[in-house]
Amino acid sequence: MSSCALACREPVARSVEAESNGSIPGGNVGYRVGVDIGGSFTDFAVMDEADGSVHALKVFSRPDRPGEEVLEGMQQIGSRYGISPAEISYFTHGTTVGVNSVLQRKGLKLALFVTEGFRDVLEVARLRTTDMFDLLATRPAPLITRDRVFPISERIDADGTELTPVSEASVAAAVTAAKAKGCEGIVVSLLHSYRHAGHEKIVRDICARLAPELPVFLSSEVWPIVREYERTITSTVSGYVQPRVAHYLGSLQTALKNVGVVPELKVTKSNGGVMSAEQGKGNCIQMILSGTASGVIGASFIASAAKVAKAMSLDIGGTSADVAMIFDGTPQYGVGERIGDFNIFIPSVSVSSVGQGGGSIAWVDKLGVLKVGPESAGSNPGPVCYGRGGTRPTVTDSFVVCGLIGSQDLGYNAVKIDAEAARRAIEPLADELGVTVERTAEAIQSLCISGMYSGVSGLVSRFGIDPREFTLIAFGGAGPMLGPMLAREVGMREVLVPPTPGVLSALGGLVADLKSDFIRTIYTELNARAMPAIAEAFADLEATGRRWLREEQGFTGEPHITYAGDLRYGGQSYEIETIFDPEWLKAGGDLAAITDGFHVRHEQLFGHADRHAGVQVINLRLVIAGQTPRPSLPLQARAMSAAEPKLTIRAWIEGEWHDVPLYMRADLTFGHTFSGPAVVAQPDCTTVVPHGCHVRVDEIGNLRISIGAGGVQ
Amino acid sequence: MTAVARASETPAPASPAADIKTDRIALQTFADHCIAAVEAMAFTLMRTAHSTFVKETEDFTCALLTPDGATFACPRTMGTTWLFGLDYGPAIKMIADYEEGDVCITNDPYSGSVATHTPDIHIWKPIFIDGDLVCFVAGHIHNTDIGGAVPASLSRTLTEIQQEGICIPPSKLVSRGVLNEDIVKILRANVRVPKQNWGDLNAQIASVAIGERKIKDVIARFGLPQFKQGIEDMLSYAHAKAQEVVRTIPDGQYFHAEYADEDSDGGLPCRIAITLTIKDGSLVLDYTGSDPQLTSSLNMPTGGREQHALTMVGLGYVLYTLDKTLLMNSGVYRVGRAILPRGSVVHAVAPAAVGMRSLTCIVTQLGTFGAFAKAIPERLGASPAGGNALMFVRTLDIEGRTIMASVGPLGGGAGGGPSADGTDGAGASSAYLKNTPIEISESEIPIRFKEYGLAPDSGGAGLWRGGAGLVMEFEVFAPHTIITARNRDRSMYGCWGLKGGYAGALSSFILNPQSPEPKQLGNRDVVTLQPGDVIRTIGPGAGGWGDPLDRDPEQVALDVAGGLVSAEQARAAYGVVLSGDSVDLPATRALRAQSRRKRPLFDYGPTRTAYEEVWNEERYRALTRVLTHTAITWRHWVKNQVFAAVAAGRHADAGETEQISRIYEDLTQRFPRLRTIEPSAH
Repeated sequence: MSSCALACREPVARSVEAESNGSIPGGNVGYRVGVDIGGSFTDFAVMDEADGSVHALKVFSRPDRPGEEVLEGMQQIGSRYGISPAEISYFTHGTTVGVNSVLQRKGLKLALFVTEGFRDVLEVARLRTTDMFDLLATRPAPLITRDRVFPISERIDADGTELTPVSEASVAAAVTAAKAKGCEGIVVSLLHSYRHAGHEKIVRDICARLAPELPVFLSSEVWPIVREYERTITSTVSGYVQPRVAHYLGSLQTALKNVGVVPELKVTKSNGGVMSAEQGKGNCIQMILSGTASGVIGASFIASAAKVAKAMSLDIGGTSADVAMIFDGTPQYGVGERIGDFNIFIPSVSVSSVGQGGGSIAWVDKLGVLKVGPESAGSNPGPVCYGRGGTRPTVTDSFVVCGLIGSQDLGYNAVKIDAEAARRAIEPLADELGVTVERTAEAIQSLCISGMYSGVSGLVSRFGIDPREFTLIAFGGAGPMLGPMLAREVGMREVLVPPTPGVLSALGGLVADLKSDFIRTIYTELNARAMPAIAEAFADLEATGRRWLREEQGFTGEPHITYAGDLRYGGQSYEIETIFDPEWLKAGGDLAAITDGFHVRHEQLFGHADRHAGVQVINLRLVIAGQTPRPSLPLQARAMSAAEPKLTIRAWIEGEWHDVPLYMRADLTFGHTFSGPAVVAQPDCTTVVPHGCHVRVDEIGNLRISIGAGGVQ
Repeated sequence: MTAVARASETPAPASPAADIKTDRIALQTFADHCIAAVEAMAFTLMRTAHSTFVKETEDFTCALLTPDGATFACPRTMGTTWLFGLDYGPAIKMIADYEEGDVCITNDPYSGSVATHTPDIHIWKPIFIDGDLVCFVAGHIHNTDIGGAVPASLSRTLTEIQQEGICIPPSKLVSRGVLNEDIVKILRANVRVPKQNWGDLNAQIASVAIGERKIKDVIARFGLPQFKQGIEDMLSYAHAKAQEVVRTIPDGQYFHAEYADEDSDGGLPCRIAITLTIKDGSLVLDYTGSDPQLTSSLNMPTGGREQHALTMVGLGYVLYTLDKTLLMNSGVYRVGRAILPRGSVVHAVAPAAVGMRSLTCIVTQLGTFGAFAKAIPERLGASPAGGNALMFVRTLDIEGRTIMASVGPLGGGAGGGPSADGTDGAGASSAYLKNTPIEISESEIPIRFKEYGLAPDSGGAGLWRGGAGLVMEFEVFAPHTIITARNRDRSMYGCWGLKGGYAGALSSFILNPQSPEPKQLGNRDVVTLQPGDVIRTIGPGAGGWGDPLDRDPEQVALDVAGGLVSAEQARAAYGVVLSGDSVDLPATRALRAQSRRKRPLFDYGPTRTAYEEVWNEERYRALTRVLTHTAITWRHWVKNQVFAAVAAGRHADAGETEQISRIYEDLTQRFPRLRTIEPSAH
């Protein structure tokens, strides 16, 4: 367990940090702790507020007793760094408990109340299914089956006016039926409730009277967007995970309190921010992607600290490789992120799966063609070389066969590499292919890379970006192993490996702002008549946002507010988020500027704009952020001597065995340079530097690997 | 390899797998890079296209072609499922000479057999390396309008290609990097929204430019000789994989006929007949016995090409369903060939209209599923819904501006399968369609929905139930609101059930269902409404699989509790007796024992069964024979005459074959011209 190389003096400002010292909720100077619980390990990042230095720590996760690992970590923080719980001033936590609850289908048994005549909103969804060529494809079972969906007699028109009042009798009948079915909670999603939430509130009041024991979730409160399926599924997932998330957070709060941690627990959110755990217990959907988002926030923090304007984060774990785009230290946001079998529609850090992970299985098809994935050994049983019951060769095993991993301890001594077993697992494939084991192993790596290449190439085309301008920030167990080879294929010129790729998610939680999104659907033509409504809606959203930050989160500084609209041309069926300059909203609003802003954005995204076409405003959105202090990554002292490899290993790289220098990450410091082929070992991952690549260590300890023909930068 | 696969006498060489020269440990890597290149084209197209067809329904394709025009790579998850593997060969050959910087264009269904109706604009660009033409990059977009008699250019009522908009035969749109402004001017002058076509055309040009750059990267990475070999190997590999799948199907001959309700507005049934012959890993789809070329726009312009993508869609679906690791390119189609009689609905000749070939293409897909289901009923599902109506509402807003919006598709689900119920509302061969949210439709157009969801009792009963159809009911609030429901079908002939499963319920289209005089609109695809009018559409139910008496009674009870199956149907079709929400097991056992009958392999539903009492195989065979000897332009008329005569009982006392011959004889007596016309070449 190493105190990581993030020790620090000079603050590095993020682009969004206008003022470098926001006020810390909770006040006292002490230690800030970020925790991220993964499938195998739980990562801790501990920051000393006095000097900004960061310690890293890993303990085994305890899926059997969630929360236990946090206490274990707190103990180790005490024993290793002499930090007592009372000294902790800020505690953030990222968790996958919500996602797991959907994946394992262990959520609340819900009833759904809908407008009469529209019972199948979840069954029909948006019709399109995923595997379009498979005649026998099935849909995932809905979270609420049709026998638990009950009609409410009521109707609101598209403009928000009442057509039919809520029939109390129909609600009573629905409640009775729901109770008879053994439902444990109720989701209410009525047509056009994003316009007029009154009917849903009336239904809730009646439910509270008739069945006070059942929690009620209103779609107009969870996330009030237009499009009935999207709104309904989002509130359904939120209600579904609620008891487990709330229970989990509650136990953790109690446990932390018992060991003497004073400040209120914070949780990271899908949108890359943080909020109080207390709020997370009620509004679970906001934190469902907390684990994924933290990693990207950590990568964004590294990107801005390293002054990388355009970055792509690459997180390769056991089963998949995930990529996010980061511009000027800010990740891209989107809606429609996937949770198990379903997409949810709240703003989330946008992450795309681009390919296989380190645990993906290699095989040979009947025609003798080598394949990798989609089956994966995951983290359990894991690769053959881990000796934990895996029998089928994985991508990680191929690296072992090539001698690239296994010579040094991995996973903080938790994993012993069995190179012979890995070799034996790949041998049958080599026999079928009629080539050596080494060539087979290398081909497995190439195939894993080419699969990711396809995925990243798709993103490049979708966003219309030039990969040569991007730096790939590689993390996760297998990211630094595969990152340089992927970057070369994609045509990216640099790979950045942060000092502790393993705890990037935990660090992400530490640097995340208090942040919340607010939305108002106004669905109107964008013209002079709409301007007062826009002004009024923003005033409302802003008041709500400020109240949230001040009263619910206890933030006293000046917030950072972003105004945006989801706009489209009349007739389009999708919206484009357009950020509004606050200037455009002053003095009744600048219609021409807003309209032009949309045209410009449309042009940027799609290569064309129609300046004569009518524009619609569907939603107005406001993001409010209360900035938390950042760890200020320090400048390292320049190395006085050349980088020294610890030893030379025999490794199979690009078609033959080479003597390859192996560097220990802990020995590397600012100013060190060396060229590939080389291997860098550290407890949580291995970096493989191919031929023609050059490494330099930058002033904050990142490995900066320049890819291809270019020399040392 | 290419030549062997194309030869008409033997559809497949002995072993395409043996033709693969690329190192097998590298083939998938090479394929990944090619697919990445073509997906880059697709993303660029989606990103920059103007029309909603591209962004919403993804009605486009992108492809990488060998110099002969065979598709060796296409996107995995983008674009239409229908047109992958189009053979550009004939169109490519219609351009005399290619030079660096050229881009070619066509939308003419009768020149080169690439475009299959006029709104589809195809372009292709040759890729040169040091003066050597090494491949083409290509693609198409369905343009919202390409001119002609009706807005959007498509209507079942059109009778000639000239009514379907402007036709551009294969031409150079860009010559050595210089745009041919004349083509663009002529195009713009003939369409309703030129700006949109122009925007889409530019997106297509951008897409092939990206394709060129990307494919040159691939060539630089792998080397030119390896590239040339690699693209042939991708085809051989796809072919070999497909051949493996076909080898799992017993050799033999399997016949299946499928019908569209109408061959023209209010017309007779339109029949697609397929004889599937499987032998040693290769197959033939013989369409002989299918309807003649029609004087409506249901015709398919395949040019009679035996691996035309439009006749192979069903085959692609079946093979992929049987093996999801197939590499999808035109090599897959090399396992088979189609026999497409000239002058039939599956091989129309100019000037037959072809705009609504989509409806016929759906019937060929269902027909192909049926033929395969006869061979391997235990591995495939019952009939999916088909007849997905694409519903549009056109009306005027209060200021008199035209508003048009899609509220559909309104169809049904997948057939029950060997181990699961069919998906409800959508799925199988209609899985690519997406709906419009009620809240969006109500905000955009003056209509109000009363219902949208699944139709109870619509899915065919079975051990595995067929997917339920969709139901949609709405009221309109503006005068002269026009509803179009393209591809509406299945209001007469239901979707077949398999292995003892029941056929699905029929679709319906009703005006003012709650009024004292509801009006059944049948298969009409255009209807004009006035304020206060209510329209109710129910999509067809898909077929069930397996005897419903074998279905788990608890599953039936769950469907009843969910309202998808009525207690009556539970009893009548499933033999399940319920008391309250729970199953009365003894009563169920008794009822099931007493209800059990031998069920047919295929249940075609009552209308079709009755229809085929008259129009059985013998009569159809006789009709096919006389039509073969009839001039193409007379055929649809003759078909109508013969049907009318049979319906009137003419020569009813003669045997079926003889009856048709005599009726035809009568016709030639009345119209001697019929006799003097040279029979057309088969």
